[in-house]
Amino acid sequence: MNQLRLRTLSLASLLLSLTISVPVAAHHSFTAQFDANKPVTVRGTVTKMDWINPHSWIHMETKGPDGKTITWMVELGTPNVLIRRGFTKKALESGTEIVVQGYQAKNGENKMNGGYVTFKDGTRLFAGGSGPGEAPTPTPGTPQK
Amino acid sequence: MRGSYLALMWVLTVAIAASVSAQTASAGWSAPKTPWGDPDLQGIWPSTHMLQTPVQRDPKMGTRAVLNDEEYAQRMRQVKAFANIEAGNPDRVPISAGWFDPGKGSRQASLVVDPPDGRIPALTPETQKREAERLARYKQKKDAPDTWLDLTTWDRCISLGAVGSMLPFYYNNGIEIVQAPGYVVIRNEMIHEARVVPLDGRSHVGTGVRMWMGDSRGHWEGTTLVVETTNFNARVGVGPGDGGFFDAAPRPTEQLRVTERFTRADEHTVDYQVTIQDPNTWTKPWTMAYPLRQEPNYTVISEYACHEGNIFMHDVLSGARAEEAKSAPAGKGSK
Repeated sequence: MNQLRLRTLSLASLLLSLTISVPVAAHHSFTAQFDANKPVTVRGTVTKMDWINPHSWIHMETKGPDGKTITWMVELGTPNVLIRRGFTKKALESGTEIVVQGYQAKNGENKMNGGYVTFKDGTRLFAGGSGPGEAPTPTPGTPQK
Repeated sequence: MRGSYLALMWVLTVAIAASVSAQTASAGWSAPKTPWGDPDLQGIWPSTHMLQTPVQRDPKMGTRAVLNDEEYAQRMRQVKAFANIEAGNPDRVPISAGWFDPGKGSRQASLVVDPPDGRIPALTPETQKREAERLARYKQKKDAPDTWLDLTTWDRCISLGAVGSMLPFYYNNGIEIVQAPGYVVIRNEMIHEARVVPLDGRSHVGTGVRMWMGDSRGHWEGTTLVVETTNFNARVGVGPGDGGFFDAAPRPTEQLRVTERFTRADEHTVDYQVTIQDPNTWTKPWTMAYPLRQEPNYTVISEYACHEGNIFMHDVLSGARAEEAKSAPAGKGSK
C-alpha cells in the first residue's frame, strides 16, 4: 500500500530532539538545507538508489490522497557509513517498499534528510542523516522490528 | 635547535605508529619497491583512524606529545562512546553522529608536532584582522546565504586544498597513492582530487600560474617521498580549523609553501608529515605528522559525485529565500 503519510511529531518528542546535545557541531548542510521543524514520514516504493559520495539519495514515489503519484528524494549518509550500518547493495533496489522518517527541505520541495529507513519485514536501519538532534522517534503504525 | 626537535617528534610519531602496526605487520616484511626501483607507496591509506586525535594539543599538556595512561583511557572512552553512537541505539540516535567515522584512538596528543607545544603558531596581525572579518560574515550567512560566495569551497564541492585533503576529516578519508616511472599520483576521496607529482626535477610553473591544489614537485630522500607544493591560489583554507569544520581554517596568501614527506613504515602504514609555511599568514612554520593506515574494508574509493551548484547549493539558496518570504511583512514577498 503506497500511501503518503506526512505526520508531525509530538511537541514533546520534537522538543526532546532539539535539546539533546551532540558530540560535534551539526553538519553544515542540515541547518542550511533542511528544517528541523518539518519532520516527515513517507511510505512508498524505491524507484532509484544513488550510492554516491558524499551523500547517497533514495528516489521514491508514493500516492497522494487523490491517487496521483508524488516523488520524493531522501538524502542519506555517505555509502561507507551506510554499509557499516547494515545496508547492502540489494537493500534498496527499485520496487522495494519502505517507510522513511526524516526532515523536509527548507524550500518546501519533496526532499528530506533521512533519519530511519524501515523495510516491509520490519527491519529498520539508521540512514545516517545529518539532523541537529535525535532521529525522529517512530510514529504510530510504522512497522518496527 | 628547532630542526633537532622536529626530528625527535618525527621519530616519536614513527615509533607510535610502529608500536601499533607491529602487531599486524607480517613477519619478515621488508619495504617493497616498484618494478622500476622506486620505494613502493602504492595503495589506499585512509587517515580515518586518527579522527579522535585533535589537530592542536590541550595546552595543559605543554610539550608532552604522548598521552599518559589516564589520558589515553579517556580518549578510548570517547572513541567507544562515538562508536556506540555509530552502532546506534535505534530509538535514540543523535543524527549528527551518523555521518561520522569514529576513529580508532591513539596515544599521539595532537596532529601538530611542531612547534613543541603542539599548537598552530599565531596568525600575523594582518591575517588576524582579515580572518576575523571573513569569519564574522561566514557565521552570519552560512545558514541563510545570499550567494554561493557566502559558502566555503567545501560547501561548494570545489576543494579542501592540498592540506585539508590529507587531514583526517569526519568521513570520506580515503587517500590513494599510485606510481608510474617518473610520477606519483596522490588521490583524495574528498573532494575528488588527484595531484600528479613529477619526480624528474623540473622546476615549478611560473609565479603567475595559481591553482586550487598548487603545483607539486617530488623527489626521493632515501625511502621517503618528499613533495614540495607552491603556486596556490590562496582561495582555500589550510587545515580543518578548530572544531574540525573547514570554515574555521584560515585563508593563506600566495606565499604558501607546503612540504610533505611520505615514508612506508610497514606493510599497512605510511608515515605522513606536512610542514606549512606562509610568512604572511603565520608567524612561523608549523608541522603535523601522523600515520596513514590501510583498513581491511577500505579497498575502494567511491567516486565523489559532487560539483558546484548541484543539489545542496540549489536547496540552500532556495531555502534561504523561502525563509525570507515567510518572515517578510504581508504583501512584500521575498526580496
